[in-house]
Amino acid sequence: MRVSMKWLKELVDVDLPLGEFKDLLDMTGTAVEAVHTTGEALDGVFVGQIVTREKHPEADKLWVTTVDVGADENLTIVCGAQNFEAGDKVPVATLGSELPNGMKIKKAKLRGVVSMGMNCSAIELGLGTDADGLMILPADAPIGTPFAEYHQMSDTVIELEVTPNRPDCLSMAGVAREVGAITSRKASVPASIPDEVGAPIADSVRVTIADQDLCPRYTARLIRNVKVGPSPEWLAERVTAAGSRSVSNVVDVTNYVMYELGQPLHAFDADTLAVDTDGKAHIHVRRATSGEHLVTLDDQDRALNTEMCMITDPSGPVALGGVMGGLSTEVTDSTVNILLEAASFDGPNVSHTSRSLALISEASTRFERGVDPAGCIAALDRAAALFAEVAGGEVAPGVIDEYPVVSEPRPLTLRVGYANKVLGTDIPSAEMSAILARLGLTVEGEDVLTVQVPTFRPDLEREIDLVEEVVRVWGMERVQSTLPAGRAGGLNSVQRWRERVGHVLRAGSLNETMTYSFIDPEDAERLRIPVPEGHVPVELINPMSGEQAVMRHTLAAGLLRSVSYNLRRGNPDVHLYEIGATYVGTMGKAQARETETLAVALAGSWNRAQWNEPEVELGFFDGKGVVESIMEELGVEGWRTVATGLPFLQPGRSVQIQVRGQMVGWLGEVHPQVLDAYEVDAPVTMFELSLKSLYAAAKEVRPYTEVPRMPAVTMDIALLVDESVAGESLLHAIRKAGGNLLESSRLFDVYRGTGVPEGKKSMAIALTWRAADRTLSDDDVAPAYERMLKKVAGNLGAELRG
Amino acid sequence: MGVVEELHELRERALTDISSAQDTSALSDVRVAYLGKKGSLTGVLRGLGSLSAQERPTVGKTSNEVRRALEAALDSRKSELEATELQERMDAGALDVTLPGRRRAQGHQHLIQRITREIVEVFVGLGYTVAEGPEVEMEYYNFTALNHTPHHPARSASDTFYVRDRSEGAVVSATGQSDVLLRTHTSPVQIRTMEENDPPIYIIAPGRVYRRDIADPSHLPMFTQVEGIVVDENITFGDLKGTLDHVVQAIFGEGRRTRFRPHFFPFTEPSAEVDVSCGICDGAGCRFCQGTGWLEILGCGMVDPNVFGHAGVDTDRFNGFAFGMGVERIAALKYGIPDLRMLVEGDMRFLRQF
Repeated sequence: MRVSMKWLKELVDVDLPLGEFKDLLDMTGTAVEAVHTTGEALDGVFVGQIVTREKHPEADKLWVTTVDVGADENLTIVCGAQNFEAGDKVPVATLGSELPNGMKIKKAKLRGVVSMGMNCSAIELGLGTDADGLMILPADAPIGTPFAEYHQMSDTVIELEVTPNRPDCLSMAGVAREVGAITSRKASVPASIPDEVGAPIADSVRVTIADQDLCPRYTARLIRNVKVGPSPEWLAERVTAAGSRSVSNVVDVTNYVMYELGQPLHAFDADTLAVDTDGKAHIHVRRATSGEHLVTLDDQDRALNTEMCMITDPSGPVALGGVMGGLSTEVTDSTVNILLEAASFDGPNVSHTSRSLALISEASTRFERGVDPAGCIAALDRAAALFAEVAGGEVAPGVIDEYPVVSEPRPLTLRVGYANKVLGTDIPSAEMSAILARLGLTVEGEDVLTVQVPTFRPDLEREIDLVEEVVRVWGMERVQSTLPAGRAGGLNSVQRWRERVGHVLRAGSLNETMTYSFIDPEDAERLRIPVPEGHVPVELINPMSGEQAVMRHTLAAGLLRSVSYNLRRGNPDVHLYEIGATYVGTMGKAQARETETLAVALAGSWNRAQWNEPEVELGFFDGKGVVESIMEELGVEGWRTVATGLPFLQPGRSVQIQVRGQMVGWLGEVHPQVLDAYEVDAPVTMFELSLKSLYAAAKEVRPYTEVPRMPAVTMDIALLVDESVAGESLLHAIRKAGGNLLESSRLFDVYRGTGVPEGKKSMAIALTWRAADRTLSDDDVAPAYERMLKKVAGNLGAELRG
Repeated sequence: MGVVEELHELRERALTDISSAQDTSALSDVRVAYLGKKGSLTGVLRGLGSLSAQERPTVGKTSNEVRRALEAALDSRKSELEATELQERMDAGALDVTLPGRRRAQGHQHLIQRITREIVEVFVGLGYTVAEGPEVEMEYYNFTALNHTPHHPARSASDTFYVRDRSEGAVVSATGQSDVLLRTHTSPVQIRTMEENDPPIYIIAPGRVYRRDIADPSHLPMFTQVEGIVVDENITFGDLKGTLDHVVQAIFGEGRRTRFRPHFFPFTEPSAEVDVSCGICDGAGCRFCQGTGWLEILGCGMVDPNVFGHAGVDTDRFNGFAFGMGVERIAALKYGIPDLRMLVEGDMRFLRQF
């Protein structure tokens, strides 16, 4: 809402400096979004007085004047106008000023005489059309005053952010009332009663409403014999300040009254309206019928749907109620008689219509928020009187007023004690009453206020709404800050586990990232990770783009894109993790299943080669190490990796991760063809884990086991096994066969080559034997060791390498 | 020359040898040469038996004195030489300490998670718990229960992401809406919490939210909110102010001021927007705060009775306040992030800054 301060000051006394006024509006809920000053173009133009007037020695038609503009010295100005005498007061543009027509005033030599400025005509100042001579000012014009100020051209326009609950502030009268309330001043409401002449409106116009739910009130006046023409300066200035273009006196009046009182008006050319059999123009308000069309004022042919509220005459639709008029009944230069509409339309319906036609007008934004039906007649009268004043119109006696259900003020009560209890304040009853009264409410009572809420405040429906009005005007900054009493808070176990997983990942050099929750529907195929069996993708009905049309069922797509992003930007070492939801739908269920998931992507090396550390390319086992760390931190028992071919991972470098037989994720090096599909040209190791499953398997308390005090016997052995024997199987067999005394078995080398037969590998293992209660001797260890060798030889064909 | 003189002479020689020994092994040789089994002093002592009874005590005494003197000299020279040798070894082992250390790079938390966690910690310190809820939400929890009118513009398919409803008989309206959507704020968690728990309730709900904004430097279609709600007896607007004053100072730093500007939200009444004083100009007005001296960071208010009605809270006994803030906005203000899209690109050079 644009508010001209000049206009506002006519309605309410604002004597605060602009800065303070702006703060006061901000702090009472009507934020000032911007401040504009108009009239700046006339900087450097002052009221001056012609002191002397001499013929130019070299030119017959020029005068050399000396002009007093209130400066130390009079200015010498060469002037071509003929309509002035010495002693006249005129606007003087001084050096450096710029006029509205773009002319810059510079020192100039005219036929040998230096001119230090310019005496101005009205047209040069952008005022009127009189170019015949200088603009002669009244004799009492004060010399040296900036001309814009003297002529009251300067105006400050503030742009207010009006919240959706305050439709009343979408008018100058409403803003003035609000300003009056917050500054304790009385605001005036502009009103006019037109003089009526000729035959009553009822003789020639009839109005009926079929759909009262869409149009609770329709009022009209008839104005005859208007002369459509340009607006007077004051009217043009007002509608321009409010944000419209000045079109003609008739259009400007309707806009002016809308800005002033908040009631949108529509003017029909009465002679273009079709008449009924009784010879009267018949306005009928109804829903559009299927297939109807209307060409609106903006010359667009609009297809209507059956929810739209139409203003019709016997020939069909003539306006979209509350949104825009029709072209065929528009007021034109040749219009003589006007039917002026002031109506009330259903907000949600107007909103629906304007949105579905992508047609938003000043009228529709006001109706959408809610226009006070009680204000129709005052607006009609005001506009009709102005038509008479600025367009010579003759106002027909009477108004048409179809108003089947009259809106009444709403009674409410406000318990003073309740208000203070909610606010934590001690505002006296009298102060609350005064605030509400200044806002235009009728208030009675002491401890319990009985309030009548006028129809222009539809937002005040409940006691709490009155509490808000009180605190907003009284001042939120005056409410004492307090804290509620203390209590116990904290994170729950899942939240604590999540923190711990993050710590482990970051301690392992991984960086957290965030990717979009939506992915491309093609990603499932591109990644070769289908939506799990029995589920369907979570599809967006209105995605931002086709590439963001489904919710992710895996974090892999987003992470691979981030890897690609990094590689393309010259970051070869990528260590990313993301913790977030994955989403799948289920047929028959409205809501998605969301699973908290972790994914990791590794590419390049941990770091580029350093003087004391070589560069090691990251691969499968770096990913596996991270998984192991997480499992250790969460105390997950009974987890294992199972070598499995997965279509999106490289064969031979991929595993499923299982906890007690249930799959909780996957790990591996991404399949080269999948990498190609994501434009990644370096190996990438990834894994994805359902954190939801891991939290369920996590163990918060792990009981103490004794720290060994007895010395151990250690030995390194090398076992030859077939290539086909998995390391995990061998270690598992050793652990199982080693008995109680075998404390640990650590694989420290896998060797193939000289000395090892083709098809075999040598696995070097460090064995530690220990008893909790005594020092072991070689004699203790030997039988256990022999037994173990025998078993692994029998089970896996492992033989001791010499 | 008598034996005693001999001993004196031997002592002088030995002391010279000791002081001229250049390392611990040469010194050890000197020790052997004088005090060893075949050493010179040992030889003299061994000859004691052949001396007269008169001479023996004097010679014995002298030789003991000489022995003690030599041992003392040897010990002192030994520690001297050891210290020197240690020094030499250490000198030889000196490093170019200016070279970089050996480390695996530290991993970093994402800025948004980091700020979220900071906020969570502040509230946990005030006795709040953290509540979570679904991101794919029912329209009821996201809008209706939060007192949005049936035609509230936020419900439109141009503002909110709607999700294909997989339940039986589900329909998509002509305007592209369904009963299932991506939550536009984390407030639905408040309703769910109130449905499942009796007051007192002190929770915050951090999480991802979605709005149909085209990604640009100051908007993302997906962003992060931390919202909270308190439901208890005797909760006042003053409590809301005090709580947020504390939180704003904890996040932005002590000395930052807040101001509460009345505003409108469907789910609170009275409602306010909260500004924090500009950290660059401290409220004087600068380009960063667009001359206002203030930066808008929070929306809040007293929970609207209609919301309590939907959630089944007894409004005669309880009231409460609610608030919400955008983590991305705090990130942009506090860390000067010029373009929010950087937060979802995953550029390692960006992620490792925080």
